[in-house]
Amino acid sequence: MKGLLRVPSWSRIKPVLVVSLILAFLLAIAYKTLYPLLFKAYVGESTAVLTYANSHELTETEFEQLARDLTEQARYRKASEVVEPDQHPFARQVKLEILMNTPSFVRETEPSHIKYFREAGIRRYEGPKTCLQCHATIQVEHADGTRSRVDTLEDIVNSVHFKFQTDAGGFSTYGYDGRKVNAIGDRRIPVGKIDRACGIPGSFTWTGWAALIEGRPESEDGEPGEIELRSEGCGQCHIGGNYYPATEKMMPIGDVPEQAKAGIDCLICHSSEYDMNQRYVIRDQVGLRWNQDRSLRAALTVGPVSNRNCLNCHQHNMGGDAYLHNVAAQSPGERHPRVMHKGAKRGNPFSPADDVHAAAGIQCTDCHVPEGHKIPRGRFGVDLVANDLPDKDVACEGCHSRAPHNNSKHKALLNGHIARIACETCHIKKLQENNVVLRDWVHPTWNAKEGLYEPTDVYRSGEPGKGFTYLWFNGNGTFLANALGNNPNGSADYNPLMQQIARIQDPEVIAAVRAKAIELKETYPDIDVEAYVRAATDPLSQLSPEMLERREAMIQDNLRAAMNEGESRIYPFKLFNAMMYEDMSNQGPFGAMILPFDYTTYYETGDTRASLVEALKDPILIRMYQTPFKLYMMDEFMAYFGVSGGWTTAYPLADGRLGNVEPHWMRQMGTLMVNHGIQREGRVCRDCHAPDGILDYPALGYEPERAAELADLDLIESVDWEATE
Amino acid sequence: MRSLYLYAGWVRLWHWLNALLFLILILSGASMHYAGTPWLLDFETAVTLHNTTGILLTLSWIGFVAGNLLTDNGRHYRIRFRGLLDRLFEQSRYYAFGIFQDAPHPFHVSAEMKLNTLQQLSYLGVMYLLMPLLLLSGWSFLFSVYLPETLFGVGTVWIVAMTHLTTSYLLVLFLLVHLYIITTGETVLTNLRAMVTGWHRERGEPQ
Amino acid sequence: MRLFQARSRISRHALPWVVACALSFASSLPASPLLDSDRPEYPPDTTELDSQARDCLRCHAMETLAYRDPETGEILDLAVDPRLLSHSVHGEMACTECHRRSYRRYPHPEQAGRETFSCVGCHEDDPEDATYQFLSIEEEYARSVHVAPGASEAEDFSCHSCHDPHVFRVSRVGKEIGQVVRDDNRVCMSCHRELTDPLDTTHAWLPKRDAHWASVRCLECHTPPSDRAERVSHQILPAEDSARDCVGCHSSDARLLNRLYHYRSQEDLARKGLIAKALFNEAYVVGMSRNPTLDALSLLVIGLTLLGLTAHGVGRYLTYRRRTNRQ
Repeated sequence: MKGLLRVPSWSRIKPVLVVSLILAFLLAIAYKTLYPLLFKAYVGESTAVLTYANSHELTETEFEQLARDLTEQARYRKASEVVEPDQHPFARQVKLEILMNTPSFVRETEPSHIKYFREAGIRRYEGPKTCLQCHATIQVEHADGTRSRVDTLEDIVNSVHFKFQTDAGGFSTYGYDGRKVNAIGDRRIPVGKIDRACGIPGSFTWTGWAALIEGRPESEDGEPGEIELRSEGCGQCHIGGNYYPATEKMMPIGDVPEQAKAGIDCLICHSSEYDMNQRYVIRDQVGLRWNQDRSLRAALTVGPVSNRNCLNCHQHNMGGDAYLHNVAAQSPGERHPRVMHKGAKRGNPFSPADDVHAAAGIQCTDCHVPEGHKIPRGRFGVDLVANDLPDKDVACEGCHSRAPHNNSKHKALLNGHIARIACETCHIKKLQENNVVLRDWVHPTWNAKEGLYEPTDVYRSGEPGKGFTYLWFNGNGTFLANALGNNPNGSADYNPLMQQIARIQDPEVIAAVRAKAIELKETYPDIDVEAYVRAATDPLSQLSPEMLERREAMIQDNLRAAMNEGESRIYPFKLFNAMMYEDMSNQGPFGAMILPFDYTTYYETGDTRASLVEALKDPILIRMYQTPFKLYMMDEFMAYFGVSGGWTTAYPLADGRLGNVEPHWMRQMGTLMVNHGIQREGRVCRDCHAPDGILDYPALGYEPERAAELADLDLIESVDWEATE
Repeated sequence: MRSLYLYAGWVRLWHWLNALLFLILILSGASMHYAGTPWLLDFETAVTLHNTTGILLTLSWIGFVAGNLLTDNGRHYRIRFRGLLDRLFEQSRYYAFGIFQDAPHPFHVSAEMKLNTLQQLSYLGVMYLLMPLLLLSGWSFLFSVYLPETLFGVGTVWIVAMTHLTTSYLLVLFLLVHLYIITTGETVLTNLRAMVTGWHRERGEPQ
Repeated sequence: MRLFQARSRISRHALPWVVACALSFASSLPASPLLDSDRPEYPPDTTELDSQARDCLRCHAMETLAYRDPETGEILDLAVDPRLLSHSVHGEMACTECHRRSYRRYPHPEQAGRETFSCVGCHEDDPEDATYQFLSIEEEYARSVHVAPGASEAEDFSCHSCHDPHVFRVSRVGKEIGQVVRDDNRVCMSCHRELTDPLDTTHAWLPKRDAHWASVRCLECHTPPSDRAERVSHQILPAEDSARDCVGCHSSDARLLNRLYHYRSQEDLARKGLIAKALFNEAYVVGMSRNPTLDALSLLVIGLTLLGLTAHGVGRYLTYRRRTNRQ
């Protein structure tokens, strides 16, 4: 007892202390030097100091010139809002100039950072380093009104916008095995857009981060023209400037290297003069990466984040690249212009021309209220996209209350619909015409004008029932983006995974698919048109009877509970399916592991198998088929995917030949939520309450009598007649 | 005439201090417990007074224990187990019967043992059982925040309150008996005088 | 005086709890709680309803049927829950027994306008007044802060401001108390939304305000003490007359007492530090350590002891005198 209590002598402590200090030091060294080397060896990616040609030092004179230009521009813009347009042009011009040179006006209009930079002697924008000089920490206001101060760089590096995945909880996504993704108590794996098993092969961000493609545009008379380099890849829309995505964040330990943090593009979100023409792929001694606008001009015009900033990237997934009012798409790159995707991902643009909120000047951040660099996407998420603030609402009710209709004589009745019908259901009547429903990646089409092979859009439509459909939705979704919900009557018949989204029955759509198949057969004689149409419009036909049986059982046993949860309403969902190569060793009743393409090979040669082989050689795909990755995350991933027995590590490439790989359509269509492109004028009664209305009541799980009642036109007519009285 | 110096200066000082504190605590405690009753102290004063006195009582108790450990006063509290029951019985019989018949006192005060067995046991119970309980529960009242909110499913504060209340009632009871018992010396004032002067004087030789 | 106050509070606060369990009037808002099972019976069984009511319910069963009144800017709820209606005391009546007949057409004619209803109007000669005391309710109600002279909303206020006649049903014995509290408080909070404003200070004096709101009915403090065991008073008190006496509730039950003391102690410590806390202990509340049984028992023992001691002393004196006389 006494011996225990005796204070050990210094001579005995000293060696222990020295050894532990040395050990700690060695560990720190190993973490700082050895770990990056190991990481590099493992994933085959390396980074370097990222430099940008447009980031250069300005002389005093150049700085002042730029400052004067920017102020003048800003003053002119503001003055034209003030001075009445209805007057003699010359008189207006004179007044404009008077106002523009009024001292108080000058003071209030000058972009704020001109003064800051001038005083701080900043004559060159060097990325985050420059911003952090003043903004090392920021104050974050939380939803509950509390405030906290966070490290800015830390905040952004851990946001979904930077790492686009998370191993935290908060998903409203359910695996086909019935478990909520990354639920409390389960082992959590990194999931999100970085590894989402999505219908678009490019989503393998490691193989599709940045590509330079040699386009060979033909002249109008079919003569092959000069080679034109084109940019493509996921990196165009993600704020990291590195040679690869933030893979480090997916590993159990390790942080993003400092060089990568220095490559964060602050200005694409924060500058009002950001030049999207600077967004293209460049090649340096290390590899390919995305250039960004690091001009002082962009840096001097930072200010509150506006719609333009968000839409630099997000119009791509809403209106699409081909959308007339996609501003960013008008600046495809001063060199190596970006490949524009002609089919739209959602086809619901957010712009003053097509969205009532955008027209009213509402800012993205008015609904998606950020907390620091964490931006909410709402509690409802049908897909596997990570959510920084999963508990924060982004909902129409937030502004419009539960009684939003005030104009109509039937306002109370319209409000009455809200219990069952989401606002979007009536206020998004159409999507853009180029909204892609069926895309065939396996049989690309030559685009002579651009000189590239492109995936073939077998069917596009923005029409209800064709390009999008209406489903019950309670906020939950499956691992492959299928909306979950159920008729409040608890119907056992409502089963979209076996019906609506697993089968296309509209004869017009089927006819269009057949026409496209016939067209494709000209290039690909092996295509059996009827088989092609069948697989595309009835993807369940690709499943064996046992698989089909298992699928039905899994829906009932694993997904019913998630469907019946909460309160469901009818929402519009954009439909999407794609034919891709799948690893058939990892197949389940809902689909098999999708394999990526190498963009360069794909776009240049149209040889999809060669492109697949090239992509499979990517180190991270090799790692994916090895045991550590299997144990670290793939087993869990496949369980969510509905594939029993874990991840099969049979690498589909042996001696340069493809193994158990087949082209298939996913076994059901993905359903993407559409919430933008809101129109003021909603649908009218007859659109739904008619025998041929847009809502298929029996399929939505209504009993026959109720369905008949809802589709009854007489009642509506009597109402309308009285209303016009 | 026999004289014994039984109560050292510090013991007497402690005793009277303790007595004073006890009286104040009883008065202020009752004022808190029965707040609103006429002729008691007003509530605010009572709380402050009670708490202050309670702290002083704690110090005084510590002093008592320390004194008993450091001086030879502690010997009076050492229980002699041999014949304990007999002595208890004898003492009780004396108070119940003998005292009325002018029977001889069964216990003889000596320098080695100034307390009779009944006295000794009750003092031991009071000083080493009730007092610690009283003080602990008193302090627990003040710093209940640091205690668990419930104990065995019952609110801790309630347990503390009841312990404090019960021990204080018992101590009041003790005080009453104590006050009476001191009149049972050779004369009514013998014991009281002893506690004032320190000298225990008995006139005659033991009969 | 203080003691007395506390005592009276105890009795008045203990009662409503009993009443709440035994007899709770289902007051109601659109998001009314489900009746019996977890999953609503859907579509609801309306066979017991009047046929005319079924017609009205084609629209009025929509849970979100409502509109924003252009005059007040407030949302007016028009939804009637068919399940609750069919279970309510008025469930078998035709809608037009209370509402104007012109409401049978849609769109409802403008002149239908606002209607006024009075419970007592129908229930005046009610033989059941003995049970439900409509007349005394009316008297209490007339003194209520909502309609008392000078009340700003008095004109628009009626029984139905709180009690939805489409839902109203008598006594749901066995309803979980927490649910009773939630249901009742939702009625108050549906108008008093200002109370949920984080900057609102009206209840700032109330420690652990939200915990109180979740487990105590607003009525417990905002109605006068009532001798009636079967229901709480309908005289809603203004803020200044409402109960503010913590001990009133927090000594009737040891657990409540414990919470209050704990809270005040924490407050005290944080504000004043250890020493001041030890000396002044403001957390102590009158009567908190009172235990009537223990008090009575102890006083009895002390009394008996005193008696015994006196007897002993007297005995000693008498025998002493006898002895000295003999000598």
